[in-house]
Amino acid sequence: MRVQFVLQEIWIGLRRNLTMTIALIVTVAIAMALFGTGVLLKMQVDKSNNYWSDKVEVSIYLCNKLSANPNCKKTEPNQSEKDAIRKQLESMPQVAKVVPETAQEAYQRAKEQFKDSPGIAGSIQPGDIPDSFRVKLKDPKNFAAVVAQMSNREGVDQVVNERAILDKFFKILSGLQWAALIIAAIQLIAAVLLVANTIRLSAFNRRRETGIMRLVGASNVYIQLPFVLEGAIAGLVGGVFAAILLSFSKVFLLGRLQKNLQLATPLGWLDVTTVIVASMCFGILLCALASFLTLRRYLKI
Amino acid sequence: MIHFDNVTKVYSHQSRPALQGVNVAVEKGEFVFLVGPSGSGKSTFLRLILKEERPTQGGIHVAGKDLSRLSNWKVPHLRRRIGCVFQDFRLLPNKNVYENVAFALEVIGKPRRFIRKVVPEVIDLVGLEGKAHRMPDELSGGEQQRVAIARAFVNRPMILLADEPTGNIDPATSIGIMKVLDRINRTGTTVVMATHDAAIVDAFRKRVVELEDGRVVRDQSRGVYGQAYGGV
Repeated sequence: MRVQFVLQEIWIGLRRNLTMTIALIVTVAIAMALFGTGVLLKMQVDKSNNYWSDKVEVSIYLCNKLSANPNCKKTEPNQSEKDAIRKQLESMPQVAKVVPETAQEAYQRAKEQFKDSPGIAGSIQPGDIPDSFRVKLKDPKNFAAVVAQMSNREGVDQVVNERAILDKFFKILSGLQWAALIIAAIQLIAAVLLVANTIRLSAFNRRRETGIMRLVGASNVYIQLPFVLEGAIAGLVGGVFAAILLSFSKVFLLGRLQKNLQLATPLGWLDVTTVIVASMCFGILLCALASFLTLRRYLKI
Repeated sequence: MIHFDNVTKVYSHQSRPALQGVNVAVEKGEFVFLVGPSGSGKSTFLRLILKEERPTQGGIHVAGKDLSRLSNWKVPHLRRRIGCVFQDFRLLPNKNVYENVAFALEVIGKPRRFIRKVVPEVIDLVGLEGKAHRMPDELSGGEQQRVAIARAFVNRPMILLADEPTGNIDPATSIGIMKVLDRINRTGTTVVMATHDAAIVDAFRKRVVELEDGRVVRDQSRGVYGQAYGGV
C-alpha cells in the first residue's frame, strides 16, 4: 500500500469538485452541530430533571392581611388553625415531609436570593411573603391530590406546585431538543445525498484512472480507498466546523440558559467534548459509509 | 495457458449468443490472431479471459486457474498476470510516458525502487528511448500505442491481450507495433491479438482463430486472414 499515492488521489478528487466538497462540508458541519446541540440539550434536561425531581416541593401559602384571595377575607389564621393545616398535610399518604416557613424566614430568604438585584431586594417588605408550608412529596408526580385538597381550604391563600413550573420549563427545553434533532436528521439525509453525489462525480471524473487500475489488477481496496477517504475527510473537516459551532452553542445557548434560569447543574466541557467527539465520529463514519455504498453502484469492480 | 471448453455467452437482453460452443486452447508462448467481422465475438472472447464477463455455459481456464471457481476478490490477482492493449490506447492525458507506465505498478503497490528500475527498461524495450518525459499529446499514434504496450507489459504478465492494437494506426507504423508485440512474445509471453488487419495477419503467419457469429469457423496454425475478409 503506497500511502503517498492514495493521498495524492484523494487530493485530486477533492480539488476537482471543490464546489461539491464545500457544499458537503457545510452540510455535514450544520448537521453535526445540530445533532450535537440536540444531544447536549437532552443531557442538560436529563441532568436538571434528576437534580430537580429530588427538590421540587409543593408550597402552601397561608392567608395574611395582604392576601388577594377573597376566601382569606384579609385575615391571618391563628396558630391552632395553622397547626390543623399542618396536621392535615402530614396525614396525607403522598406527603413525605412538611417544613413550615414563617413570614420572617421567607423575608430573609428572599433578601438573600435577590441580593444581586438591589432594586428588588430593597422593595421586599417583611410579610410580603406569608407563612407557608413547604411540602415534600414521596413521589413528585403525585401532586394532584395535595393540590386539590389544599387549594380551597380555609386559611390557605395559594398552592404553588413547583413541579408544574419546572414541567413547563422542561417542555420548552425538550421542544428545543427535538427541533434540533429533527433538523439534524433532515440535514443528515441531505449530507448523505450530497456525499453520494460528490463521490459519483468523483468516480466519473476519474473513470479513466479507475478503469486502468481495474485492468492492471489493482485490488478493490486500492481502487475504492481514495474515494471512501475523500468522503471521510469531508466528514472530518465538517466535524471540525461542527465542533466550533458546538463550542459556541455551549457558551451562548447552554451558558445563557444556566445563567438566566439558574439551572444548578451546568454541563461541563467534558460533556461537550464527549458530544463533539461522538458526533464527529458519527459524521465521518456516515460519510465514509455513504461513499462506499455509492461506489458499489457507480464504480464497476 | 488459455482454455475455452465449450463456452457459450449470452448477454442479457439479447437472444443471439455472443459466443456459442467455443473450444480453443492457447498454449504458453503462443501468438494467436483472433479474426472475424465486427460482432463475431472477438471482444467477448477477450473479456471472458479477464473475467470481466462470466460465461453462460462452459468452463474457462486461464494461467492454470478455473475462472468459475475464482472468487471476486482474487480477480485482481488474475489481471496482474494479464496485460491489455486497446485500439484507443487509454493513456492518462495528464501523466507523461514514464508516469503512465509507472501508474500500472503504483496501483498494485510495487515499491518505488522497483518501479524506478523496471519502467525505463520497458520504455526502452518498446522503442521509446529518450521519450520518457513526453506527454501523450506530444506523441504520434504509434508512439502512444507503444506506451500502452509498455504499461501492459511492465509487470511481466504471462498473457498479453491486444484488442485491435493497430486499428487507429497507419500501416507503416503498425509494422513497428507488431515488431514490439513479437519481441514481447519471444520473451515467452502468450499473445492473443484480435484484429481486422489482413495485411498484418498475412505477413506474420501466426496461428489464426476465426470467429463468425460466435462460433469458431477456422483454427489454423501459420494461417492467413482469409478470403472473405481479405479486402477489409
